[in-house]
Amino acid sequence: MQSTVVSSSEAVKRLREVSQEVPKAAVLLGSGVEVLEDIAQQKSYSFQEIFGIAPTVEGHSGSFSLGKLDGQPVAVLRGRFHFYEGYDTDIVTLATRVIVEWGVPSFYLTNACGAINPAFDVGDLMLLTGYRDHISAQWRELGMLPSIKVPPTDCQNELTKHIWKTAEEVAHKNKDFRPLHRGVYAGWLGPCYETLAEIGMLHHLKADVVGMSTVPELIAAANTKTQAAAISVITNSWNKAKIHGHKEVLEAAKAASQRLDILLRAAILAQSAG
Amino acid sequence: MNIPLGIDFTASKLGLTEHDGLGPEVARQVRTNTQGKTLVIVDHGFGLPAKAVHVVRDHLNLTGSNPLMGPNNPCGERFPRVTDVYVTDCGRELPQVVTAGVKPGVVPDAEDQAAIKAVGADCWSYNLVPTMIIAAHAGLKVIGILVPEGMNVDAELKPILQSLSSEN
Repeated sequence: MQSTVVSSSEAVKRLREVSQEVPKAAVLLGSGVEVLEDIAQQKSYSFQEIFGIAPTVEGHSGSFSLGKLDGQPVAVLRGRFHFYEGYDTDIVTLATRVIVEWGVPSFYLTNACGAINPAFDVGDLMLLTGYRDHISAQWRELGMLPSIKVPPTDCQNELTKHIWKTAEEVAHKNKDFRPLHRGVYAGWLGPCYETLAEIGMLHHLKADVVGMSTVPELIAAANTKTQAAAISVITNSWNKAKIHGHKEVLEAAKAASQRLDILLRAAILAQSAG
Repeated sequence: MNIPLGIDFTASKLGLTEHDGLGPEVARQVRTNTQGKTLVIVDHGFGLPAKAVHVVRDHLNLTGSNPLMGPNNPCGERFPRVTDVYVTDCGRELPQVVTAGVKPGVVPDAEDQAAIKAVGADCWSYNLVPTMIIAAHAGLKVIGILVPEGMNVDAELKPILQSLSSEN
């Protein structure tokens, strides 16, 4: 199944063949997050065409779109590869490495997640200021005990600061825009949802939300010329003893997508103006 | 004696199917059983609060892996819930624990053991947690029994298994 996967440099070559410009920003969208649907001059390619492989999960269609947002070239990636599907690190981080190698300066990651912090509600957005890594391939080798003995990793950079500032400005102008949360995302392998004891552990370890992606991508983009930042869409809450299935996750993500759309457009626009 | 559906990782000669560890055969066996039944899993517990048989009320998967990684087996959902799967009522009052599932071959040192306790587990085990995940995905409830190494559990467990088999 993975035999046709291309290298990151081959994928970049394919992208250069179809696009004269390097995007100013790339956006990677998680489960059912629907934003930036109407970018101008849009050309879309399947993940299969760009990466030589497509993800397997329903709700993660796998498309790579190029277009313009207020005149600025942008890339929008819909879908991603997850460890729980059985993919290795090379494939899970392939899209990120392609964005880095292509020279895209800003990489916006989104994901759907479950809230652990009792102050967070379904439909809220959270900017990641840190993450916990309980998902990387190294834990398959070592077991996960080392991961519970370390604090969260800080992931703040110029782009996270820019998103925070933009969100404050949007909230100031638009009273309907719920303020953004800031917090720590715990990357959890899945595919099963967490047990209540695991939620208790992650709360103890200072995680605010938990999801099954994003951490490998942030690690892959760290210390490169690409600034990466991630925004979580909270589609599930562990605090009300209500546990949702994947279909409900997709529906809640849709409701929050509208606000995320406003935020991403404003952030990309302000970035190109600045 | 009529024996309930069960897997024993402790070689305790309880009449359950015995396995040395988790493997494809365990998964196959769990998945061939129909929805709604209860699976008994007997495993060794380490760092247990007392030298006694314990029943599991919840777990932390600290193995670093998940037996459901890869293409989804159609016997269950892609993203299964694993809450409310453990049954603690096994017809007899047993002390309850939260177990940490640890990767086979990893022996937690004193610092690891302190970390395991700090994050909410009372003990650790090697096979029970991944087996429970396979069972939960297949729609089964689980009675997780942890026994200390080297303890003869015949007298304790036989009556429990007997009472369960009459219900199943």
